[in-house]
Amino acid sequence: MALLTPYSKIPELNTATVLLVENEEQFQSRLADAIVQQEKDINVNVRLARKLPLPVENSETRPRIDLVVFIVNLLSERSLQAAESSLSHLGPDYFLGKLCFLVTDARCGAVPQERLLSVRRLAASHHCPVIYAEHQTEDGITMTAMRVLTILKVSAGLSPVATTALYLSTFTRCTFPSDFDED
Amino acid sequence: MATVKWPHFFHFSAPHSVVNTPAHRPDTRRSKSYGRSCVEPPSLFWQTPGHLTTLGHRIPTSRRAAKSHNITTKVDPEQVALLIKNEWKLSHVTPLYRFRHTQLKLYSKHLAAFIIAEKQQGVAVEVGVEAGFKVTFSAVLGIAETKEDAETVFIQVHSKPLFSADTPKAVWRGWLTCVNGDPEYLRSLPPDFVSLPLFCSSGPEYLTALVKSWFERTFDCSFGSLYLNSTMLNWLAALWTGCHPTSNIRYLKLAWNMPSQPPLDIAYTVNPQDAWELWNSIHTEDSTDDRINIEEVQLFMNGLEIHFFRHFKIYLSAGTLTKVSTALGSAHHDGKIKIGSSDYITTLLTLLTECALMKTPV
Repeated sequence: MALLTPYSKIPELNTATVLLVENEEQFQSRLADAIVQQEKDINVNVRLARKLPLPVENSETRPRIDLVVFIVNLLSERSLQAAESSLSHLGPDYFLGKLCFLVTDARCGAVPQERLLSVRRLAASHHCPVIYAEHQTEDGITMTAMRVLTILKVSAGLSPVATTALYLSTFTRCTFPSDFDED
Repeated sequence: MATVKWPHFFHFSAPHSVVNTPAHRPDTRRSKSYGRSCVEPPSLFWQTPGHLTTLGHRIPTSRRAAKSHNITTKVDPEQVALLIKNEWKLSHVTPLYRFRHTQLKLYSKHLAAFIIAEKQQGVAVEVGVEAGFKVTFSAVLGIAETKEDAETVFIQVHSKPLFSADTPKAVWRGWLTCVNGDPEYLRSLPPDFVSLPLFCSSGPEYLTALVKSWFERTFDCSFGSLYLNSTMLNWLAALWTGCHPTSNIRYLKLAWNMPSQPPLDIAYTVNPQDAWELWNSIHTEDSTDDRINIEEVQLFMNGLEIHFFRHFKIYLSAGTLTKVSTALGSAHHDGKIKIGSSDYITTLLTLLTECALMKTPV
C-alpha cells in the first residue's frame, strides 16, 4: 500500500501545495478559490481529493504536497469516518506538522457533542491542530483561507521564522486531553 | 541548518511552554467552546463549587436499561391518559424562581388574566370566537422519581365559549417535569429555585408563546427549544428495541434525510423481532448488570446502517436521522415527541430531562 510521503519529491522554488481532502466535496472548492485569491507572493497550488489513497495514475505528475487538510463536516458521521480511514494512508512524516484538521459546523446545536469530541481526540492523539471554520459566509471562508495559508507557508518551509513541527506544537497540546472525560 | 529562535509571540492558549510539560496537567481552565449555543459562562461562576459546570461535561456513556413501570399504580390513570394522547413539542427551561406547588390556583387565575389581556391588546393574531379562557394548573403526582425531583405540573387552557351552553374545551396543554434529574445539580440550586427543566406543549403556537412569556415574567426563567440530536435518537431506538420482549414494539421505524440533490427521505422500517435479535446479540441480557453502554448503541445503529448499505449502497451516516418511532412512542429531531404507551414513560422522561438539563445554559 503506497503511502503518501512529503519528502519523496523535490520542492519547487517559491511554491507551496496544499491538499484538501473532503468526503462531501462541498467546502473544498470554495476554500480553494479563496486560498488562491488571497496569496499573491508565492505560488500556491491547491489539490482537491475526496479521500486517500490518491489515484496512482497521477502520482508522477503530482507535485510535492506540503500540507494535507482533512475537512470534516460535523453534520454527518460519514465525514468523520472517511477522514479516519484516509488517515491510515498518510506517511508518518506528515504527522510532524504537515497535517491539520478543519472542522465546519462546530457551533450547530443539532450536532451531537460526541462528534466534535472525537475529532478533537483524533487530532490530539496525532498531535495535529484543529481549525474551526465557518463556511457559510464570505468572511468565514476568507478567514479560513488565511489561516490555512499561514500554516501552509510554515509547512512548505517558506516562512523564515518557524519550522513546522515546533510551530504547530504551539497550537496543539502535548498531552492527551484527559479533561474531556468524566471527572 | 540555522538555529531557530523560539517564537514567543505565537503563544495562544497553551499555559505551559513546550520545554517542560507537566506530566499531569493541572485543571486550571475548562473551556466549553464546543457545540453549545450559548456564550461561555461569566467568570463569576468559576467561584462557586464546581457543581454547575459538571453538567456540560458529563455526557453519559451508560444508562440503566428501560424498566417497565406500571405507572398507573402511582399516577392517576386519567392524567396519564392526557399525557399519552398528544404530540408534544419540547423546550428546556431554566430553574423557576419562587414557584410554589401550593399556589397553583393562584397561578391559574393569573395566567388566564394574562392571556385575556394579551388577546385584547391585539398581541395574539388568532381570530376566534372564544370570549374567555380558563386555565387549570394541576400537579401530577407520582411521575417524579427521586426525592430531589420536583412534582410535575400540568397546565390546561380551556376556551370558554360565548354561549355558556357549550362546555369549555381544552385548546392548549402543557406540562413541566423533572424525572431523575442530576441529583448534584438539583441539590446545588439556591433554595428558592425549583428546577423543572422539561417543558412539553401541545396546541396553537400563540398560546404557547403567551404561556412561556407569562412564565418568564413571573418566575424569571427562560425557555429554549430542545432539539434531539442523533445521539439521543440512537439511545431511544436502542432502549425501545430492548423493551421488545416485555412489551411488543410492533415496528422500529427510522427516518433519515439525505443531503443529496434533490434531498432524499428514507423511511427504514425494521421488523421488531429482527431488531431485537440484533440488539440482543450486542447487549446480552444480563440480569445483574442492566446498564447499556454508548458503544453498544453505536454498534446497533451501525449494524442497521451496514445492512442498509449492503442492499442499497447508500451510507446512512452521511445523512441525518430525523425520526425514531415504535409503538412505545416516537421522537422527532425537531424536538417533538409522542408517547405511545404508559409503560416506559419513565425511561423516556429521564432521557429527555437529562437532555434538557444539558442544554439549559446554566
